[in-house]
Amino acid sequence: MSVSQDLINALPSKLLYTCKTHRGTSVAKQESLGKKPLQVLEKIRENLEKLNEKMEVMIELQKHGRKDIQPLPETPLDVMTLLSMPDHLRKTAMTVCRLGRATADEIAQQTHRARAVESAYLNQLVIMGYLKKERKGRKAYFYVDRESQGG
Amino acid sequence: MGKIIAVHSYKGGTGKTLLSVNLAATFVKLGKKVCLFDLDFRAPSLSTLLKMENLEYWLNDYLNGTCEIDKVLVDLSDKIHNGGKLFVGFANPTTEAIREMSAKDRKWEMRALGRLLSLRTSLLNDKGFDYLIFDTSPGLQYSSINAIVGADIVLVATTFDRSDVDGTRRMLQELYDLFEKKTEIVLNKVLHDVSSKSGKEIMQTKIGDLYHAPPLGIIPCFCDILRGEGNIIFPQEKPEHPFTKILVEIASKIDKMP
Repeated sequence: MSVSQDLINALPSKLLYTCKTHRGTSVAKQESLGKKPLQVLEKIRENLEKLNEKMEVMIELQKHGRKDIQPLPETPLDVMTLLSMPDHLRKTAMTVCRLGRATADEIAQQTHRARAVESAYLNQLVIMGYLKKERKGRKAYFYVDRESQGG
Repeated sequence: MGKIIAVHSYKGGTGKTLLSVNLAATFVKLGKKVCLFDLDFRAPSLSTLLKMENLEYWLNDYLNGTCEIDKVLVDLSDKIHNGGKLFVGFANPTTEAIREMSAKDRKWEMRALGRLLSLRTSLLNDKGFDYLIFDTSPGLQYSSINAIVGADIVLVATTFDRSDVDGTRRMLQELYDLFEKKTEIVLNKVLHDVSSKSGKEIMQTKIGDLYHAPPLGIIPCFCDILRGEGNIIFPQEKPEHPFTKILVEIASKIDKMP
């Protein structure tokens, strides 16, 4: 699926209608947006952020020639695993270990790398089963789930 | 904000425990609040050296998640007079406990890492400790690497033994550097004369060439250390001994590190 198709799918239907009738009257626009334009814009922003994260992961996976990678089951992030990781992912994983629970922004402040880069690495670590991700409002938190893994 | 120091080595018998105990005592003498941990679960030694038996809780219990750290720590401040505070967390020395710790799986080790990492908050931030010192097992043991990951500074105790030098050099490149740890070399059991300034400089250059960094400390082979059989806490019992003076130099350098 193309990125533009992804974007269209992510948009609320009311907004789509507005976009398609962009050249129509301003009355039609107001009706389609309803009384809560801010909420609609907020939803668009959330969807765009999710889309952005997905794209960052795809770009990162392509960069490392791992187009075929599939989400893996939960895997313990122990020190031997950390040792065997590529340097760029180890740095991110170590920072999450140290902070306990953090956003891509917080990790980027520690590693002095760009937020988008950290976001891609964090999502890659989630796909690999080492980290968990939890959304709270507009923020996405990444953490090592030490308690729920049995054994 | 305090610091966490892991004392590690490639081979056994390089003086990790000697350095850990005496460095902890040196910091206490300097008025610091220190906690010493025996993380050598395969060959626990602090309980013997500090004469502790039949404790209700051990570090093993803390890492197993069955008790909190305050239950484990023993206040031994009275062993060091006119100083700060010394607390010690002991590893269970029974054969059964050693066997049990040797059989832990990756998930347990991952949780143990989490428990070690949380000591930064519980002891350094909340309880105001100045130093946590981890005495570890030699080589690439899970518990040792956990300790290294949890530490700010790794002190590597090494000797001039050829296999020890090779192994230490490998660990510098393939272990400490990968975790981006500040690593300092302490050369122990040195037979060359380092009492004079020139002798010390020659030795520092030699070690610097081997490890691409000057050593944090050079400890000559003292017969008094061997005679003490591990029972002597030098900063307390022999404050004028050259070994004590070297320890004070090492402690001062660590204290000045950012």
